[in-house]
Amino acid sequence: MAPRLSFAVIEQCALPANPITAILVALLLSVLFALSGCIRESDITLEQRAHQLAGELMCPICDGQTIDGSNAQIAIDMRLKVRDLLDEGSTNAEVKDYFVLRYGQDILAAPERSGFSLLAWIVPVFIVLGGVVIALLSIKSMRRSGLEAQSAGGTSTVVKQKQNDLSDYLAHVDRDLSVGSAIKSDESNKSGDAPSSEKAKS
Amino acid sequence: MADLGVMALLLGLALSAYSAIGVVIGEKIGMAALVVSARRALYMTTVTAIVASGALINAFVQNDFSIAYVADHSNTLMDRAFVWVAFYAGNEGSLLYILLALSVISAISVWFAPKRLARSMPWTIAILAIIQLFYFGVLTFFASPFELLDTVPLDGRGINPLLTHPGMFSHPPLLMGGLISITIPFAFVSGALIAGNYGDDWVDVARVSAIIGWGVLGTGMLLGAWWAYTILGWGGYWAWDPIENVALMPWLVMTAFLHSIMVQKRRGMFRLWNVALLNIAFVLAQLGMFINRGGPVVSVHSFAASTLGAIFLSFMLASLVFAFALFLWRMPQLKSDRAMESFVSREASFLINNFLFLAVMVVTLWGVLFPLFSDLARDVSVSVSAPYFDRVNGPVLLGIVVMMGIGPLLPWRKASARSMKQWFVWPTVVGMIAIGVLIALGVERPVAIFAFGVVAFVATAIGEEWWRGTVGRHRSGDNWALAWWRLVNGNRPRHGGYIVHISILMLALGIIGTNFYQQRTDGALALGESLVIDNYRIEYVDAHDSSRPDRIAQWAEMTIYRIDPDDYKQEISFAKAKGSLGFTLKDSRIRPNDEVIDTIEPWHGFYIDFNMASVRSGISSTVVEDLYVIPRDFLADGRVSLAVSINPLAWWLWASGPFFILGTMVALWPQAAVERRPARKRLIGESEGEI
Repeated sequence: MAPRLSFAVIEQCALPANPITAILVALLLSVLFALSGCIRESDITLEQRAHQLAGELMCPICDGQTIDGSNAQIAIDMRLKVRDLLDEGSTNAEVKDYFVLRYGQDILAAPERSGFSLLAWIVPVFIVLGGVVIALLSIKSMRRSGLEAQSAGGTSTVVKQKQNDLSDYLAHVDRDLSVGSAIKSDESNKSGDAPSSEKAKS
Repeated sequence: MADLGVMALLLGLALSAYSAIGVVIGEKIGMAALVVSARRALYMTTVTAIVASGALINAFVQNDFSIAYVADHSNTLMDRAFVWVAFYAGNEGSLLYILLALSVISAISVWFAPKRLARSMPWTIAILAIIQLFYFGVLTFFASPFELLDTVPLDGRGINPLLTHPGMFSHPPLLMGGLISITIPFAFVSGALIAGNYGDDWVDVARVSAIIGWGVLGTGMLLGAWWAYTILGWGGYWAWDPIENVALMPWLVMTAFLHSIMVQKRRGMFRLWNVALLNIAFVLAQLGMFINRGGPVVSVHSFAASTLGAIFLSFMLASLVFAFALFLWRMPQLKSDRAMESFVSREASFLINNFLFLAVMVVTLWGVLFPLFSDLARDVSVSVSAPYFDRVNGPVLLGIVVMMGIGPLLPWRKASARSMKQWFVWPTVVGMIAIGVLIALGVERPVAIFAFGVVAFVATAIGEEWWRGTVGRHRSGDNWALAWWRLVNGNRPRHGGYIVHISILMLALGIIGTNFYQQRTDGALALGESLVIDNYRIEYVDAHDSSRPDRIAQWAEMTIYRIDPDDYKQEISFAKAKGSLGFTLKDSRIRPNDEVIDTIEPWHGFYIDFNMASVRSGISSTVVEDLYVIPRDFLADGRVSLAVSINPLAWWLWASGPFFILGTMVALWPQAAVERRPARKRLIGESEGEI
């Protein structure tokens, strides 16, 4: 994964004036940050830890509910047991192990981060990063095909026609935003749009 | 009544089959009369679905317990208002409701279909008729709501007590209607592709029908969350349960579609991509129907469980194959008019936003299916529930919110560095200031602080655009309100979108607040005792009993005081030493700074016939935070056992609803007649040319 990602980022950096790179990098960093960021066990009270753990243990007899959300007797007993174990000084991991030993893996509301279950956690990272990379690559290829078409003899008449149609819309946008100057500087490199900006100003 | 219903369903079955076959044959052999007749047959299926539904509702009204479905889902004690809820309370009835919704919206959309789609309408009708045929078939052969009982019971079993809540009048119908309505844009686009209509003729009708379905589905989910929060009594509103996930997944894909369809409308790009999104959304909706009807995963929403899993799985696979094959067949023709010009453009940012939405969808699907993989691959059951989804989806959803701020500020085609600076300075500064202020105030949890900063960034971005646009119009003479209104009116899809974005920001505030800063404590109170948490004291004042033949119901009357923690120093330090957030007080002596702010009446009911408990929480809500009291149980010794939480910013979750609906309506509202007239003239010209 790493080489592909750095490839995308380097490609971006090679382009002049490209703030979206910074934004995307910040986005990816924030994803990693959020994935790693969690509060330490010692920072919160025993009761908060008990509630947190109750939200991570399934009620064995209810359909898809955690013991935190269930009023079944077994859920009440399990909540008390969690609190007892914490009072005795167990860590969160020890409490979970206690219940896994007695009820099996599926007592945990989220799969473990080891062995086969690690897949559950790793695949999403690949899905998200893969999705962003595919999006960037497809934008890149759409750009390249556009450049090739231009160098191969300018835009076709159909496209020119449509661009003329677009000037109405751009004028509309200018009027909406009433920031002729900002938009004009954007669009001034397109000769066809200059009149529309003028119109918006008047 | 049962006979009438059965006959209506049979007639509908025949009519939808005739419509599907007739329209295809008529189109192929060029027999216009047959096509017209088939179209009318599609209108008539709506009539039969209405008659069948009317027959079932009437059976409920008449307490006709000879019909198994009626006997199973109502009794003579049931409040008559709940007949509408009982109609779709079970598997068979909800299928009939779905068919009713589908046939009504099919008829409306075929009736109002634009003339320029004339060439592809036969195929659209065929697709709609085939899907209706499927539901008529299921209702006739596998899940008839008109099944008769051999011996007529004196009274029915009664309605599921969890459904007897005002929210149930609208949440399930909106959700089911929203899911099935994805059929409409899918049918229009698929019809156009089969007919070889590759232009953008279908863009408007697909966009409008998609927004309606999307808005209905979104409202349905929000109402469901609100219902869970107020009645289910587990203190949450979204559990990432499989049934919730299968409704969320198509909604996410539709959200992506609504954004990228605008790129096609404005720029003639992303055609292929839009067709793909719609196909995915449709197949996901079928997956939702399958998992709802006895799918392979456990869920708390087992109201409509059945043994129809195999049938719905087959239909889902068939629609998957159809959508995929059609896509591959027509792919070469779906070219963009023009190329992407820059990474820093609105169309590029929309594409990235699309991929993020799809990423959340695929990750959610992965989470839903992982228990099955685990079972198959190594024979070990695992659970995948809220803690997992919060972790994996949270960061990506935050990324989507970031894009919500960036995308709209970028111009089409290409942004220059100068305009970027002009537009992004303020949002970034305000976002940074928000983060700085929160840190200075000593707020904990860095992830949440960052998320608040993102919300501030996006809110400023929207505000900035409205501000600049309004100021410009104000200068040209309009007063402020009129200037803003004209701005919104000038481009409703865009500004309606902004209003929806604001509702999403409100939702985000609530989600961040409740997920990161919730405080909870448990306790049991006797009459006259109080529970103290943070700066609230909850005093148990009185108990009432309102038992009825079908249930034991108790409610507690409680007074809520706002307190000054200084008055309770001793008790608080004692509780802290024990590791608790809250504590109980034996005496109800009022201390100097106690101030009554609210009275709540949490309610706990036990339904004997269903062996089921139902809870209504007591909620004292303010803009800042909710005090949320769940009566877990009324104990034998007269005490009531409570789970109490403080849910910061929960109010914003529900306040977002009206804005979501308003924004959807604004985006949907047709352009004013003056602007539309020439367009219509042009359309008529075009379609005449084609004929």
